[in-house]
Amino acid sequence: MVKTMKKESGAATAVRTLRQPTLDTLGLGTVLDIFRRGALPADPSTLVDEVFGPPGERGCMVISGANGIVGAGKTMQFASRLQPYGVPVVALDFPGAPDGIGMQYPGLVAAFGKEGADRIMADVVRLAYDGRTLPDELMAMNPRFLLEAIPEILEVKRAHYEIFRKAFPGIEIRSVTSGFPSSELGVGVAHPAFPHEINRIWEIVEDEPSAVARLMWALGLTPLPVGDNWSFILDVLFCGIALAGLRYHEASNMPYWKIDKLVRKLLGPNPFRAHDAIGAKGADFLTWSCLHHLAGTYGEVFRPTEDLVERKDTGQDWYPPNHFRPLVDWKLSDEEQETFRTWILGPLFQMTSLMLHENRAHLAHMNAIGEVCAQFRKGIVAVMRDAGPDEVAAVVEAYHRLHPEAAERTSWFPDAVKDMSSPEWQQLYVNAEHDGHVGVVTLGRESYSWEVDAELNRALDWLVAEGIERVIVTGDFHISTQMVGADTSDFYAALENVEDGLAITNGWSATARRLNDEFRVSVGMIPGKRCLGGMLELMVHCHHVVAVEGTRLGWPEVGLPVVPGMEGCHWPLRKAPEDAWPRILEMLLTGQAVTAKDAVGWLIDYAGPMEDALAQTWKLASAAEGSARTLADGALEGVPTEVTGLPEADSPASEAARAAILRCAHDASGVTLAEALAVQAKQAAEFLAGPDCRGGAVGADYEKTMKV
Amino acid sequence: MSTSDRTLFPATRIPYGTWGSSYFPAWQTSALAEVNIGQFAGESAARILGLRGVPINEMEYLIIGSTIPWHWKFWTAPLVASCMGHRIPGYHVEQACATGLQAVLAGSAEVESGANDVVGVLTFDRTSDSPVGVFPERRAHERTQAIADVWDNFGFDPATGNAMITAAGITARKYKADRSETDDVAFLRYQQYFEAKESGFLDRVLVPLDVLNVQGKPLGRIDSDKGVRQITRATLRGQRELDTCVTSGTQTHASDGMATLLVTSEGKAKELSSRPEIDIRLVGKAEVRAHPSLMPEAPGLAVKKLLDRLGMTVNDVAVLKNHNPFAVNDVIFAKQTGYDWRKMNNTGCSLVWGHPQGPTLTRILIEGLEEAVDLGGGYVLIFGCAAGDVGIAALFKVS
Repeated sequence: MVKTMKKESGAATAVRTLRQPTLDTLGLGTVLDIFRRGALPADPSTLVDEVFGPPGERGCMVISGANGIVGAGKTMQFASRLQPYGVPVVALDFPGAPDGIGMQYPGLVAAFGKEGADRIMADVVRLAYDGRTLPDELMAMNPRFLLEAIPEILEVKRAHYEIFRKAFPGIEIRSVTSGFPSSELGVGVAHPAFPHEINRIWEIVEDEPSAVARLMWALGLTPLPVGDNWSFILDVLFCGIALAGLRYHEASNMPYWKIDKLVRKLLGPNPFRAHDAIGAKGADFLTWSCLHHLAGTYGEVFRPTEDLVERKDTGQDWYPPNHFRPLVDWKLSDEEQETFRTWILGPLFQMTSLMLHENRAHLAHMNAIGEVCAQFRKGIVAVMRDAGPDEVAAVVEAYHRLHPEAAERTSWFPDAVKDMSSPEWQQLYVNAEHDGHVGVVTLGRESYSWEVDAELNRALDWLVAEGIERVIVTGDFHISTQMVGADTSDFYAALENVEDGLAITNGWSATARRLNDEFRVSVGMIPGKRCLGGMLELMVHCHHVVAVEGTRLGWPEVGLPVVPGMEGCHWPLRKAPEDAWPRILEMLLTGQAVTAKDAVGWLIDYAGPMEDALAQTWKLASAAEGSARTLADGALEGVPTEVTGLPEADSPASEAARAAILRCAHDASGVTLAEALAVQAKQAAEFLAGPDCRGGAVGADYEKTMKV
Repeated sequence: MSTSDRTLFPATRIPYGTWGSSYFPAWQTSALAEVNIGQFAGESAARILGLRGVPINEMEYLIIGSTIPWHWKFWTAPLVASCMGHRIPGYHVEQACATGLQAVLAGSAEVESGANDVVGVLTFDRTSDSPVGVFPERRAHERTQAIADVWDNFGFDPATGNAMITAAGITARKYKADRSETDDVAFLRYQQYFEAKESGFLDRVLVPLDVLNVQGKPLGRIDSDKGVRQITRATLRGQRELDTCVTSGTQTHASDGMATLLVTSEGKAKELSSRPEIDIRLVGKAEVRAHPSLMPEAPGLAVKKLLDRLGMTVNDVAVLKNHNPFAVNDVIFAKQTGYDWRKMNNTGCSLVWGHPQGPTLTRILIEGLEEAVDLGGGYVLIFGCAAGDVGIAALFKVS
């Protein structure tokens, strides 16, 4: 459903959006407004003042249960971000608790260097308390925000909040709970995703987007508002897929390690390895706890199996110990494969229908949580969209024949998956907005895939249909924080069949060309960190490319090895002055990245601080005339057939890729622009289907994932 | 034809189809030479029962049977159960080649006692690279003896001082067994095996299993009784006699493998079997010990003892299957009972597919039960010899 967003005060025109921008769920408006304003919608300094008080009256943050897996990770995550603003982080735990904070130090050193790590650790104040009386030192530190990470016992949590509220009226409290709704806890929820030191995703439960949630966004974290329901989305997916595997084990005797491999092949996650990696003792309890409460609320589809009940008590690993590495393999017939698929997808589809029925989150959030936090190759919403409404219903009904107790109206909502035609379903990764003059296409996925390609085409179609001739292509400033290139799992079929490779290289390139061909002005705006591989190929198809300074730009394909397939071997050469060709070829042949600032004039057009980059992008996109670098559409002469002085390739396969990339660059540049696509597509597809690619990282991933 | 009203364990059944065996590749020829056989057996049992539609969680107790020490055997059945993926208690039984039957009996006793409703019987052995035990032996001049578990034991019965093969020769001479007839037995046994294989009969018993190495890569597929080849009469006739009526073609070979089945209460048998209308129960069992170094006559003596006690004769039995490490065992059995050796061991036998000890009689039992089902039911007589000049026999009824 196309939406019209409210006009910002002083803004010229209301913004029309293909579907609701995910930023808007935080009260942060549209992406187009970021460009129109020339500034991000939330400023960390202002929000730190709002949450912790102004300098001079600055309070502290408290993390209770700080030595636990979640508490320690989140202490580091917040301390490293709040330290520049002079906000101390109090790590509170029982006396004698294992030193979880200390164990974080090596990771901090690796990320920030010793000096930086020491600075961050100096910002962490470690205090002990007995669970009933807060330490005197805390009184003097003016706590303003408590992040509670204590064990999942409702009464204990409530008592804990009471102590803090009594001592510090008005304190903001968020629980990291994996299962209890905010309504049960009496506080807001900020449920983080594993691994806690580095994962930026937080499921947020609040009545209205708060300053705390906006501060998290401004600090570079990714808060995703979700509904106030048991176990939130991540744990329904994480625990749900584990439960599906457990039920298949009960039905088939298949060992967990093998179920893991088959689930990974089907969807991406290794549910049992994940529990062991997190720490089976804690993870099994949390999974049991979530499922136990979900079963109490929604019924049998969530009921923990006997095996899980036992393991939440014993903490036994799911994988056998090293000296009993699996010995007997399990192969499935086609019929058994179908049964396996039903046991796994059936409950997941059913659980997702429940979450859709409850309107738990923006569909893009629901989808992304599976991908970014639970290892799904494609989010569960995208998987269901692929299957289509009839197939989803058929799978769930087949599952109910295997597990009749799960067929309950309290947890299966076929109506919620009946119609997938809305933009909310159809645009999980790519959105479009415009103000009648300039459009913006936002990519909410860090890697380019068939889904992104299809959604990008629909977004461009919509803008064209809306009469938009000027477009900015950029990230979504929310879920996606970088652009890492193609999703190489989409190459798997191409390893076996050159036709599948051609579909990618022709199809994705044709999409990229639309940015050059169908708009009067297109600006690729790279908002930071890195833009690599296929994403960089996509962006350079825009008439102008702007990047935040310090962004790394590169084509690491040679190391995989693959030949860049979205015209990376000739398009940049056609837009660059001849004296820059060796640098472009060096990038392609070594995989080494350059910083945005160093790439101005030959690969991109502008690099600067965020606000300058935003302003420059808007200027290029909205100005009457812009001067884009010329795209040579004839055959290029003088493209080198060999490049000397390169460092030695790290493998024979990379050496072969270098030769193939150089040949492709030469051949595709040596014909007209109109002819080049076919040349590039063919050579890239043939390399994908060849032995050198099969022997490299993509081939290894393919073997490991799909040949099980 | 007479029948017996006796039932050794009246409340106990073997649910049809809840069984299976690995193939038995000859020693040192397959990936099984590389594995911890206890682990292999546990994981394979889960796989086999999964294929049979039996959730492993149904099993309440586990009897394992093996004869050759394996790594971590101290932990016996509980460890194998863990490898199976189901933490249940249990214990280990061992009686050389009688192990398979004794394990079924021990499992049946567990059910009959009311202690458990579903007991797994899981037998296995790896003769390949058998362990070498180092024993302080104060009375031996060496003071310490190293014994290769398989071959040094086959070669020396400490109670008699004779090798197994010598016992076969001594017994052959006692019964005036004929070399030519012994060769004919062996020839027929190979024919029977290959006919059963070609008919698809063995596919109902044997399950191909894929073995992984420590990196999780394929190490080998156990999908044949490797080492078993078609053999001609002329070849058998031309082989050198190692002792009376014993040649390389008329004796078995060492092999590796596992076999498993369930014994359950009557109610559970109906619940777990793919054909609940088939009723399988144990009628009786007997054991004898023959005179020193007369092991091949012991099975016939055990059969006679059993059938006498039941008031039956061999002619009352539909399926006879003998564990026959030597072809002369069948010749002697025929001389003892008057039964035509051409009518027994119809689907193959351990003479042909080898001798992994622990699971030998389990596989023989499974084959015998399947054969009886094909015949529409009847008595199944399973018997064989075991180290120490022991004979064991058990009678089952399939109806």
